Amino acid sequence: MTPTHFTISSAFLLGMMGLAFHRTHLLSALLCLEAMMLALFIALSLWSLQLDATGCSTAPMLMLAFSACEASAGLALLVATARTHGTGHMQALNLLQC
Amino acid sequence: MHPTTLMYTSSLLLMFAVLLYPLLVTFTSLPLNNDWASSHAKTAVKSAFLISLAPLSLFLSTGMEAVTSSWTWMVTTTLDITLSFKFDHYSIIFIPIALYVTWSILEFATWYMHSDPLMNRFFKYLLTFLVAMLILVSANNLFQLFIGWEGVGIMSFLLIGWWHGRADANTAALQAVLYNRVGDIGLILGMAWLATNVNSWDIQQMFILSKNLDMTLPLLGLILAATGKSAQFGLHPWLPAAMEGPTPVSALLHSSTMVVAGIFLLIRMSPLMENNQTALTLCLCLGALTTMFTATCALTQNDIKKIVAFSTSSQLGLMMVTIGLNQPQLAFLHICTHAFFKAMLFLCSGSVIHSLNDEQDIRKMGGLHHLAPFTSSCLTVGSLALTGTPFLAGFFSKDAIIEALNTSHVNAWALTLTLIATSFTAIYSLRVIFFVTMGTPRFLPLSPINENNPAVINPLKRLAWGSIFGGLLVMLNINLFKTPVLTMPAELKLAALAVSILGLLTALELATLTSKQFKVTPLRTPHHFSTSLGFVPAIIHRQIPQLSLLLGQKIASQMVDQTWLEKTGPKAIANATAPLASATSNMQQGLIKTYLTLFLMTLVLVTLISAT
Repeated sequence: MTPTHFTISSAFLLGMMGLAFHRTHLLSALLCLEAMMLALFIALSLWSLQLDATGCSTAPMLMLAFSACEASAGLALLVATARTHGTGHMQALNLLQC
Repeated sequence: MHPTTLMYTSSLLLMFAVLLYPLLVTFTSLPLNNDWASSHAKTAVKSAFLISLAPLSLFLSTGMEAVTSSWTWMVTTTLDITLSFKFDHYSIIFIPIALYVTWSILEFATWYMHSDPLMNRFFKYLLTFLVAMLILVSANNLFQLFIGWEGVGIMSFLLIGWWHGRADANTAALQAVLYNRVGDIGLILGMAWLATNVNSWDIQQMFILSKNLDMTLPLLGLILAATGKSAQFGLHPWLPAAMEGPTPVSALLHSSTMVVAGIFLLIRMSPLMENNQTALTLCLCLGALTTMFTATCALTQNDIKKIVAFSTSSQLGLMMVTIGLNQPQLAFLHICTHAFFKAMLFLCSGSVIHSLNDEQDIRKMGGLHHLAPFTSSCLTVGSLALTGTPFLAGFFSKDAIIEALNTSHVNAWALTLTLIATSFTAIYSLRVIFFVTMGTPRFLPLSPINENNPAVINPLKRLAWGSIFGGLLVMLNINLFKTPVLTMPAELKLAALAVSILGLLTALELATLTSKQFKVTPLRTPHHFSTSLGFVPAIIHRQIPQLSLLLGQKIASQMVDQTWLEKTGPKAIANATAPLASATSNMQQGLIKTYLTLFLMTLVLVTLISAT
């Protein structure tokens, strides 16, 4: 595995670990989600450079656009949660668990 | 023209003139005198009978048959239809018998229908029926026969629905017309096939040209026609229902003359059927089934007219069996003898019904042996003739049929059914006699029992003479076309007598049980089968139309809105998706942290493995 590949994968994994293991704030989960998106953006940008494939040059821009939508959706959910449940804590989101 | 042919033709013409003359009063506006029915209608039939004795005596002395073709009706390129009459063995013997029976019935009807305001119309209908029947019997081509066929069908409808204020009578008349119509399909099929394949509707040409053809299809059509008109199994419910008509109608149409028209057609067409084993076997089995089934139904009926109606149906089945044995002449003999005693049984029933103030239920009669001795004697004589008591009228035809059945190469099932039906005949005949004439009266004391009217006595007397001597007279004067088998084992020879006596003894035993309680919990199922007439009317007249109407209602009112617009359209998606969604959400427990942790573990593993 090339160092580049390892770096990007581990950045993604660290973000994922943050998403999975944060227990208190919803905001920290969303931040880690953004970090994952950032790692993916870097990966897509390096793709066309490393592999000399010019066809997927537009992929990072597409990724960024969708990531922006996703971030705004996540923030809207955070605001809605704060509004209905009072806090931004993860413990408040226990509707599916008994 | 040969003098004999001239005699035959002119007497038939005279008979028609004599019978149609009373009907001409319809076209005049003169009021009829009180006894028009007796002085004109009955006298017309009596004169016609006396006229018909002339061709009969000429035929008996010379044995000459004749065919007369007169007026050309229509001529097409391939088919000629003329007005033609056939004076053969069958028509010359049947016409006097039919006229004799009709004369007696009309005389009886002058008493029976005395209080009916439309009595004259009744007699006109009966005369019209008689003319149609004579046309049917003397026809030499199928077109003329069809005219007579339809004529008797329509008159039957009008006469069964005589008391049309009664819903049951209208239903019965409709049943008669509809079932006869189904049979007519068969007759028209036969006529169409014959017109296109043998080029003619004349009997002589049909017989000659059909020797080498496969006649199965037209014969099936003719058998269907006989099934409809003669109330064989499958198209039989109209005959017991036809008892809604007045008793003279039942006596004339539905016992002696109209219902034998189907059998008469098959007898006329019997040379076509001789070599076609399919048609013969079909007749045999259909007749055996009919005779057995209707005899079973007759065992538990309580209306005296219904019992006699089922008895008629059973005898018609026996005639069909005889045709299936390839013995048309024996069937014809049975038609002739049957006319006498069946008409007499109906007239006795009519006399009893009127005497007991229109009571038809045999459970409410009894003891008439002392109160109406003449009627009960005639009832007994008629029943004995029906069961085939030796040397009365029925014996000569019925015993000959059973002997022929026993000595032919025949279907064993048909043989068994016919013998059982013969014993049932004895059983229900004894039931009628037991309930009507024997025992103590079960009717109201002030019943107008009166048999002093000569209009009642004379017809019964004449028909009684016919029932006693009719068979003998006919048998002595004809030549049998086919040699009967005269030697057979004693058991076969006495089979008919033995089963009848067996039935009689069984019935006597059952009759003595009516005053005791033999079984505390009787077996109801066979009784239900017999009383509900084999469930045939319940299924065909009620169940099938009900299902059809329900289907129609469902299609008309519910199918479009409920099915097409709801269940297969929008709601189908909802109904299909909702269970899936609820199943899926029930499966997901919401353990987000566990899910994410597992996902992460997998990713770490993948990364580590791909890194090495």
